[in-house]
Amino acid sequence: MSTLAVHDHGVESHDHDHEHHHDTFISKYIFSMDHKMIAKQFLITGITMAVIAMVLSILFRIQLAYPEKTFPLLETLLGHFAPGGRLAPEFYLSLVTIHGTIMVFFVLTAGLSGTFSNLLIPLQVGARDMASPFLNMLSYWFFFLASVIMLSSFMVQKGPASAGWTIYPPLSALPKAMPGSGEGMTLWLISMVLFVASSLMGGINYVSTVLNMRTKGMDLWKMPLTIWAFFLTAILGVLAFPVLVAGVVLLIFDRSFGTSFYLSEIVVQGQVMPYEGGSPILFQHLFWFLGHPEVYIVIMPALGISSEIISTNSRKPIFGYHAMVYSLIGISVLSFIVWGHHMFVTGMNPFLGGVFMITTLIIAVPSAVKTFNYLATLWRGNIRFTPAMLFAIGLVSFFISGGLTGLFLGNAALDINLHDTYFVVAHFHLVMGSAAIFGMLAGVYHWFPKMFGRLMDEKLGYLHFWLTFIGAYLVFFPMHFMGLDGVPRRYYAFTEFPSMARWLSVNVFITWAAILSALAQVAFLFNFIYSIFWGKKTTQNPWNSNTLEWTAPIEHIHGNWPGEIPTVYRWPYDYSKPGAAEDFIPQTVPHSQTMSSNLVHDFEDNEAGLAAFHEWVKANPPREEVK
Amino acid sequence: MMMAQLQQEDKLNLAPKKFNMWIFIFTSFMFFAALTSGFIVYSGGSGKGIKIILPSAFMYSTAVIILSSVTFLIASRAAKQLQFAKQRMFLWITAFLGILFFCIQVYAWKILIDMGVYFINPNASQSFIYVFTSMHLLHILAGLGLLFNALSGSYKNIPQVKNLFRMEFAGIFWHFVDIIWIYLYVFLLLNQY
Amino acid sequence: MAFKNIFKFKTLSTAVAAMLLFATTTVMAEAPAAAAATADDASTTMWTGVGYYVLLFVLLATIVGIVGKILRVYDLTAQIQGKKAINWNNIMGVLCIVFLLAGLYGSYWEFTEQGTMSLPAAASIHGVDLDNMFSVTFIITVIVFFLTQICLFWFLFKYRGSDKRKAYFYPHNNTIEKIWTVIPAIVLTVLVITGFFTWKKITNTTEVKGDINIDVTGHQFAWELRYPGKDGKLGTKDYKLTTGTNKVGVDFKDKNSLDDQIADTLVVPVHKSIRLNIIAQDVIHSVYMPHFRVQINAVPGLPTYFKFTPTLTTNEMRAKVEDPKFEYLLYCNKICGGGHYNMQKVVRVVSQAEYDGWVAAQKPYFNDALKKELKMADAKQPKALGQNRLALNN
Ligand code: HEM
Ligand SMILES: [Cu+2]
Ligand SMILES: [Cu+2]
Repeated sequence: MSTLAVHDHGVESHDHDHEHHHDTFISKYIFSMDHKMIAKQFLITGITMAVIAMVLSILFRIQLAYPEKTFPLLETLLGHFAPGGRLAPEFYLSLVTIHGTIMVFFVLTAGLSGTFSNLLIPLQVGARDMASPFLNMLSYWFFFLASVIMLSSFMVQKGPASAGWTIYPPLSALPKAMPGSGEGMTLWLISMVLFVASSLMGGINYVSTVLNMRTKGMDLWKMPLTIWAFFLTAILGVLAFPVLVAGVVLLIFDRSFGTSFYLSEIVVQGQVMPYEGGSPILFQHLFWFLGHPEVYIVIMPALGISSEIISTNSRKPIFGYHAMVYSLIGISVLSFIVWGHHMFVTGMNPFLGGVFMITTLIIAVPSAVKTFNYLATLWRGNIRFTPAMLFAIGLVSFFISGGLTGLFLGNAALDINLHDTYFVVAHFHLVMGSAAIFGMLAGVYHWFPKMFGRLMDEKLGYLHFWLTFIGAYLVFFPMHFMGLDGVPRRYYAFTEFPSMARWLSVNVFITWAAILSALAQVAFLFNFIYSIFWGKKTTQNPWNSNTLEWTAPIEHIHGNWPGEIPTVYRWPYDYSKPGAAEDFIPQTVPHSQTMSSNLVHDFEDNEAGLAAFHEWVKANPPREEVK
Repeated sequence: MMMAQLQQEDKLNLAPKKFNMWIFIFTSFMFFAALTSGFIVYSGGSGKGIKIILPSAFMYSTAVIILSSVTFLIASRAAKQLQFAKQRMFLWITAFLGILFFCIQVYAWKILIDMGVYFINPNASQSFIYVFTSMHLLHILAGLGLLFNALSGSYKNIPQVKNLFRMEFAGIFWHFVDIIWIYLYVFLLLNQY
Repeated sequence: MAFKNIFKFKTLSTAVAAMLLFATTTVMAEAPAAAAATADDASTTMWTGVGYYVLLFVLLATIVGIVGKILRVYDLTAQIQGKKAINWNNIMGVLCIVFLLAGLYGSYWEFTEQGTMSLPAAASIHGVDLDNMFSVTFIITVIVFFLTQICLFWFLFKYRGSDKRKAYFYPHNNTIEKIWTVIPAIVLTVLVITGFFTWKKITNTTEVKGDINIDVTGHQFAWELRYPGKDGKLGTKDYKLTTGTNKVGVDFKDKNSLDDQIADTLVVPVHKSIRLNIIAQDVIHSVYMPHFRVQINAVPGLPTYFKFTPTLTTNEMRAKVEDPKFEYLLYCNKICGGGHYNMQKVVRVVSQAEYDGWVAAQKPYFNDALKKELKMADAKQPKALGQNRLALNN
């Protein structure tokens, strides 16, 4: 690509910090184009959606625990969706579907990437704002609109979409097949198209900002792992979401125009339909080509966030920075060629199944490397248990527990018996649900001071962590065994099968554990809202962190830094470097100021620096380390 | 990557914005790649192909859109040489060719319908022709929007930097839309029978 | 699955304690519902039931608040008196160890207690291979699980923060990193290769001869079974022929279809290769028979099949699991609508002799009602043909 033909120095030369155009309430809080404000908007909308999705899950968990009982309150609240105080089976499926959709897309894609990519990319690479602030604002408002439409489907007479978050046709294509496949499904599709538009606008901005707008000295290998993770996530999104749109467009044609892309030889309720020749499996290919990268879109930002937090709070460099980056890249690339592991039992060509199984198990290698590197980072650290650190650790624990069960599901032979059982529910809730939520919460606790200028309460954070951590394990661990007993997911009740009815006591237990962990979130919400207004004021760099965002003023300004953007001289993980006065050296400190702690290795691509260093070493012969 | 070395503070952020366009093009390309792969999976699985000879209208529309790329190139060269009248004229020609392309595509649909190749069709390979062309026409509309954006700029006497930027911005997309059509057309031709 | 073989022992006392806990909570949940049923003014009792829980929660929250205040006051006074404030790093480090121990015990308890509730050993030939594969994967992952979790929480405790210590600057070590890239890679290669061959063996069944072909058709919300009859061949189908009487759309122009039979139960002889020909009529369903380790989707317009050979009769299995009422089941495992949760068929594995007797007693698919319908259709035939021709001319 050619660089700009005309350099536009001084074409438009008023400086950001002198530019006090008067912010109205609307331009500051609503249609803001400032990345920090947009990040907060994403965060608050994301948290709201998370609470809603959590409430939905509690509703259907109550049904699973007490399938025979009636709760008149439910009828009062839900009307005809819960006739006689019991959820209707179709509405149960709606709840599951909307719960899954909101959690995966609205909370852990938009809420997670949207918040932290927006907040951290400009601040950590040293840019004044995103490449296109306007696109960024649009991204939020499309997301907001998508959320509203998704929720509004509860107002539809026949209820929201209910074919599962994967909306496999023909179930999702035939309004006759279930009530939720009528207007509810239409709203779902509209909402998702808007959502994809939002994600693409966001993703394009993130990629472009990381590649083009880094400050002086911030070469790719000096970027914090958060930025690497957001960057690769954005690339995944940009490449995968359009494929979902293609799949959805064809589905819309089938639903509304009567084409037969996915539909073939269908007889619904005794009535022969005119569709012919379509392939329901085609949709699954298109869906999972997005769907699998999507789960990495969910987890990678969380991994990036936890890398940063674990390193900062163990006061140690992240172990194997390069390996961490390469494993992220490896995961990103591989994630595009494993989608078939969701389709082992569709009747797909067995040879193809074998190939997908190989690629799937290969992806476990970079994931394992990441885990070991986390452990090595903690080893001989000086661990400071902030709530953020605890949540980051929780992520590692969940990532291990959930990742290991992936080895069962990725194995085509084993998947024959595990596919679509509660084993799967347990697996993905641990490795993607809980792990990513913990990454997000860790990020909130860690960067809250950056967002709101105040600190969250630590003790409430501890309470929140332990209740949620224990609760999540209690909820999801027993589900593995239900799956191993052949209990299918998306079942409204297990009363019709004696072999499943014996799991009832476990289901009651899980439900109460879920209620416990849901209530624990009140501690978080209270802490969050209270601290926004009345929390303790933060200091400039509350966690003694190295990255660039902590050099920006606490009070938010347009353009992030008054005056020049700081220059970067070193990687972000110089924690507890021997010979340094403090146990952290921010990225903005040049090596010339830290002669006593420099290592030869710091000058890999800097010969002048190396020469200076050698001279310094000659002049200051190494002393015995004072212990 | 070259852009990454852009070190001066670029207040208008023009370079990153242009980069945004490049990424969007990748996105768009993935969309069409998905549709065409969908076609392959479908026709491979069902054993049904397009089973017709494509109307020759598509040949004309291809010629028109290639021509429009050429006229756009002339317009942008004129813009660089500060010949604004020429720039405007060729932009108008480009836009006109774009609209003509649009009309020919719609006309081709009519021919297809006359041939009995309907959108709502038990052989979805044939429905795919409509999907490819209609989705591509959406991109043409977007491209026309960018062209008119560049045109309006050239009438409003905006700074030359911005003028060139709008030209480049529109140009990247217009050529891309052109190339995508050629890709789709060749793809359809290869699957004609 | 194979847990039965791995863990045979139980820890009962803890189970009893946990059950007591469940019971109390269950009773509590029942209270509002029961009250609503009896009382006239259902809504007031309903709200009091809820109010009770809300109050409980408010109480809890207040206690949390008070404890928080006490902690803060304690911290402040300690600071004023120059004493050491609470060392949260130590507390959290200890909690990590406590969690580790509790978690280790808890997961051990789960493995033994709930693991034994999982499926009995496979009742089919390929299922045995699958179970072996499962055991290999299970052993490997469980070792890794315990090792990594122990390391994680042990490190957290061991290296909990203190002002006296400085962390060890250790940015990377290429040798170690190579080792722990290569070892997982090797282990995974083993898993991939064994998995690949197991999978191939299960799916590549063309050489197995002498199948009994059975047609399984899924629709909302039931399964239809069709046996091939004396000729051993299933007649062809055409979905357009589906009517109330011809439920799966069998084409009677095909002579093979005339002796096809319908059945309510999937009865199969033991030690015979069974081929299920599977299709769905409306939406995707999935034929799932977990005891045989069989699953494959039923897709409209796309026939699929699964071949398996049962090895244990229903009676043998009953003896094995010590449950005289045990039945093998076939149920739907792909979301298909409101009735998805109850779409089952009993599967019965019997001896060859029993099978022969049973199959002889099954009703023909081509029953009287169908014959009558077909005759009427025949009478209308010429007209229908004319319409067809018209349609073609269009
Ligand atoms: C509040 C804690 C949560 C609880 C108690 C919970 C519980 C459940 C349960 C029991 C199911 C299966 C229902 C069924 O198959 O009938 C389910 C489905 C699902 N959950 Fe959660 N979940 C929680 C949080 C999350 C999170 C954080 C995510 C984010 C990834 C998530 C994503 C999903 C998805 C994708 C499904 C599948 C929906 C479908 O089958 O279409 N859940 N949840
Ligand atoms: Cu996947
Ligand atoms: Cu079903």
